[in-house]
Amino acid sequence: MNELTAEHFLLLSAALFIIGMMGVLVRRNVLVIFMSVELMINAVNVAFIGFAWEQDSMVGQTFALFVIAVAAAESILGLGIIMALSRRIDSVDTADVTTLRD
Amino acid sequence: MSAEVLVFDILAVLAVISGAGVVLARNPVHSAISLVVTFVNLAGIFVMLRAEFLGVVQIIVYTGAILVLVLFVIMLVDPDDLPDFHGGRPLQRAAAFVIGLMLLGEVAVAILTRTVVGQPGPWSEEFVLEQGGNVQVLGQFLYSGYVLPIQAIAVVLLVGTIGALVLARPDEPVGRPRPRHTGTISLGHPRGAEGEFHEPLPLGAGAGAARSERRGEMRGGIIVVTDAESYSDRPAWELEFSEPSADSNDTSYADDGFGVGKERNRS
Repeated sequence: MNELTAEHFLLLSAALFIIGMMGVLVRRNVLVIFMSVELMINAVNVAFIGFAWEQDSMVGQTFALFVIAVAAAESILGLGIIMALSRRIDSVDTADVTTLRD
Repeated sequence: MSAEVLVFDILAVLAVISGAGVVLARNPVHSAISLVVTFVNLAGIFVMLRAEFLGVVQIIVYTGAILVLVLFVIMLVDPDDLPDFHGGRPLQRAAAFVIGLMLLGEVAVAILTRTVVGQPGPWSEEFVLEQGGNVQVLGQFLYSGYVLPIQAIAVVLLVGTIGALVLARPDEPVGRPRPRHTGTISLGHPRGAEGEFHEPLPLGAGAGAARSERRGEMRGGIIVVTDAESYSDRPAWELEFSEPSADSNDTSYADDGFGVGKERNRS
């Protein structure tokens, strides 16, 4: 592995994605879950840009830009939901969000 | 090992360690700080991958905007609302670790045995430089073949903004005092000073029924307040000297020192 290859980036992307996924699955604080989702989105961006680099293409970078824009919109809504949760049920713990279950 | 690989390894290891810190930190603020470190390292990796514009966008959008927003929300949320650190029972924690490593192993095998090879595009490093650089090429791409997605993204961001406004809006509007609609004792008009009371008042509840022995005197339908003590917020027909015979059964005007009593009673 003396040269930089796409495998490097793919492994990094996979590691970050799995870390984020485990964060979503294990943690109960909605804020931390939100940050883990951001981590996963960034892992996907690394894969996009890595492939674009490997294939000498610009489409991957274009797509990564769109992913960033959608992630920005998602983060606005996610943080709004967290604010609403904190205000209505006085908790940001996923175990307390049982409105639909009850 | 070339210098490129060495730089990449340092950035990648830092990104993974701080990414793990996001998940493992007990305090959400520490998680956010770890996330900043991850994003900055990933921005460096983007620059290594000849995506300079995206590296800059990563720093501006993620560490500049989203992370600041996250920190704001962390500080807006009441600390009592935060759950205790919960990483599952020890068994769950070990299981999560093992399953995560297994997943990573599987994906690593899939990556390392990859046989699909795409068709390389024309945008090699030299060609991109010939066109003026990464930003120019990306701009040409976005505004030639991707105009419709750009418009769609604009709509998505607009809808997201409106949605955030709706979500984060307080349940009740606060801080705006409503105009008083108590009749007080103004002029003693049976329908109140502004004529706002749509229900017909009980007979004899108006100024004509008010007597003036104790609280003031009435002259031709006008109650004249003679001292500060006798001033009252309540409608004339509810004052002590009125006849509560056919009680006007609407006490919601009373006791509203701030003029919002009616709305509060309804909820």
